[in-house]
Amino acid sequence: MTAVQSSRPTAAGLPGRSLVRLGPVSVQVRRRAMLVAAVTTVLLAAAVVLSLSLGTPYVAPADVLRSLSGAGTPYDLVVRDLRVPRIVLAATAGAAFGIAGTLIQSVARNPLASPDVIGITQGAGLAATVAITTGAAAVLVAPAALLGGLGAALLLLALGARHGLAAQRFVLAGVAVAFALRALTEVVMLSADPIDGLRAQIWLIGTLAGRGWSETLWIALTLAVLLPVLAWAGWALNGTALDDDTARGIGLRPGARRVGLATTGVVLAATVTAQVGAVDFVALVAPQVARRLVRAERPPLACAALVGALLLVLADLAGRRLFAPTQLPAGVLTAAIGGPYLMFLLVRRRRRFA
Amino acid sequence: MNRTPDSRGVMLSTSDLTVGYDERTVLDGLDLDLPADAFTVIVGPNACGKSTLLRTMARLLTPRRGAVLLDGAAIRDLPTREVARRLGVLPQSPLVPEGVTVADLVGRGRQPYQRWWRQWSEQDAAAVDRAMTQADVAGLADRPVDTLSGGQRQRVWIAMTLAQDTEALLLDEPTTFLDLAHQVEVLDLLHRLRAERGRTVVAVLHDLNQAARYADHLIAMREGKVVAAGPPREILTADLVRDVFGLDCVVVPCPVTGAPLVVPGLTSPHLAPTAAGPAVPVHSPGGDSAAPAHSLAGDPVIPAPAVPATTPAPAGSSAGDAADPLAGPYPSKGH
Repeated sequence: MTAVQSSRPTAAGLPGRSLVRLGPVSVQVRRRAMLVAAVTTVLLAAAVVLSLSLGTPYVAPADVLRSLSGAGTPYDLVVRDLRVPRIVLAATAGAAFGIAGTLIQSVARNPLASPDVIGITQGAGLAATVAITTGAAAVLVAPAALLGGLGAALLLLALGARHGLAAQRFVLAGVAVAFALRALTEVVMLSADPIDGLRAQIWLIGTLAGRGWSETLWIALTLAVLLPVLAWAGWALNGTALDDDTARGIGLRPGARRVGLATTGVVLAATVTAQVGAVDFVALVAPQVARRLVRAERPPLACAALVGALLLVLADLAGRRLFAPTQLPAGVLTAAIGGPYLMFLLVRRRRRFA
Repeated sequence: MNRTPDSRGVMLSTSDLTVGYDERTVLDGLDLDLPADAFTVIVGPNACGKSTLLRTMARLLTPRRGAVLLDGAAIRDLPTREVARRLGVLPQSPLVPEGVTVADLVGRGRQPYQRWWRQWSEQDAAAVDRAMTQADVAGLADRPVDTLSGGQRQRVWIAMTLAQDTEALLLDEPTTFLDLAHQVEVLDLLHRLRAERGRTVVAVLHDLNQAARYADHLIAMREGKVVAAGPPREILTADLVRDVFGLDCVVVPCPVTGAPLVVPGLTSPHLAPTAAGPAVPVHSPGGDSAAPAHSLAGDPVIPAPAVPATTPAPAGSSAGDAADPLAGPYPSKGH
């Protein structure tokens, strides 16, 4: 039995992992995660260059790179002022969605539990719709959406807390909250002025058109503030795969940990949604894709962020070019990918439990 | 009744422990000492509070009143990480995480020694390696836990708690859902931990005979109270089984270990021995060394050998009828 000594833990870490040292900090990293992160980074860079290059006018990739390096080309206006802000926003928002999705899915121990399924996005959507249709100043839409998303999370917490935030109930309560909020949003929209209703509709689908640096700034700021928390979260997520009793046995406090991780995810999801609108499914899909690539029980945060960034950059590019000159909002594209993927997840789960 | 454990010393104890769920009080003012360096087994009928007691000692349940003491200090006043370095816990049916490898799961037992900024050390590697070897799961290191058999999984969970390097280990029905061979395997492992590593092991078990075979210290509970506590050879008698489980039985020495072996009395006439197998009451086969242990307890170990075993119980008598005379024990294989 012990003859086949497959692999043993060493001072460098468990099998398949390496210990990465940064001064006094030593972090265990899966080698496969490093590979996935490297490959995704290359793909992301390629997608960014492609997205900067495609469009009207077309800019050759070589010119894109030259323009980015500040060499001065006739395309500087198109590349640097029109396309770069939008694509940087896509990458930043996608990364934040990926992290938020990972946190919430891991806490709920359910791949379906992403902010757009459990009501966070819908809460932001309702608040934004109210702000838009009541004629509030445009600058107030994003803060309203942020508050709406956080409000939905509090509602969810109140519903779930009665049962100690048990993982399964958390998702069910979230789906119910999402439906209720969406219905309310429809009511608000239908009773509003048609033009405002249309504007709200576009916000709800989620688009990156006409957005750029200021939105990016807010998301990046939130990520920067949360960075120490995320450093902790990347480690704390390891405990979420265990049930509460087992977790307590090894000295964790699962309840406090769950609240901490979920709050981080919710704040992040609500912030991004407030800035780019309800771009669905990136937070759902990115962590799951990353998880499968890394072949772990949960995705490392960095990999999920990179996959999320790649997904949203590609969705934005496809939305711009697929039916050009008609521009589709990125949210339509992510929904078109995410919908079937959600069904795939449901079917696969049912087969597993059958 | 509640005899003090022998000279071993006490590691875990409870003082005025009162635990309940909602309206129901399960344990009411329980004072109990568990000996250190011993394999203690808690037995009792369903819903007698044995799991509640174990879970409270493992700080998975919060008592309404009273305290669990770890080396004299109330466990609730200690930081949970410190408790996790001294007390390993294996809950009844842990959720098996999807896609986590054996080495990975065992590694999580090192949690109480790690911080997010210091995630691995040489001690961690040594402890995980040792734990996997002790629990005999080193050969499975790269396998996902959810692909293993029940017995293998249970050994992996035990390895995880061993990686915690604790002096004591609490296990809630570690053999449930395992077949007999795997049950013996798990119990042998726990026995080795006690005998060779000097760990304090406390387990809730359902099987009285396994409890008698492995325990150094047996605690029999009923309705939240400790009915008897002590070495199984001293306390496990037919009277005790009747008191605790309400079941008439015969206690004979186990032909293999000499530990008390509990055989339920004849509960249905159809179960009476047939002519093919002549019923011979067992009078301590081969003058077994275990016999004196029973007489020590001052209990009639084999009741009424005069009653012919072949006589079927009167028709209409029901199981558990205390007035019903016991039929003789079933013939032993005699080795």
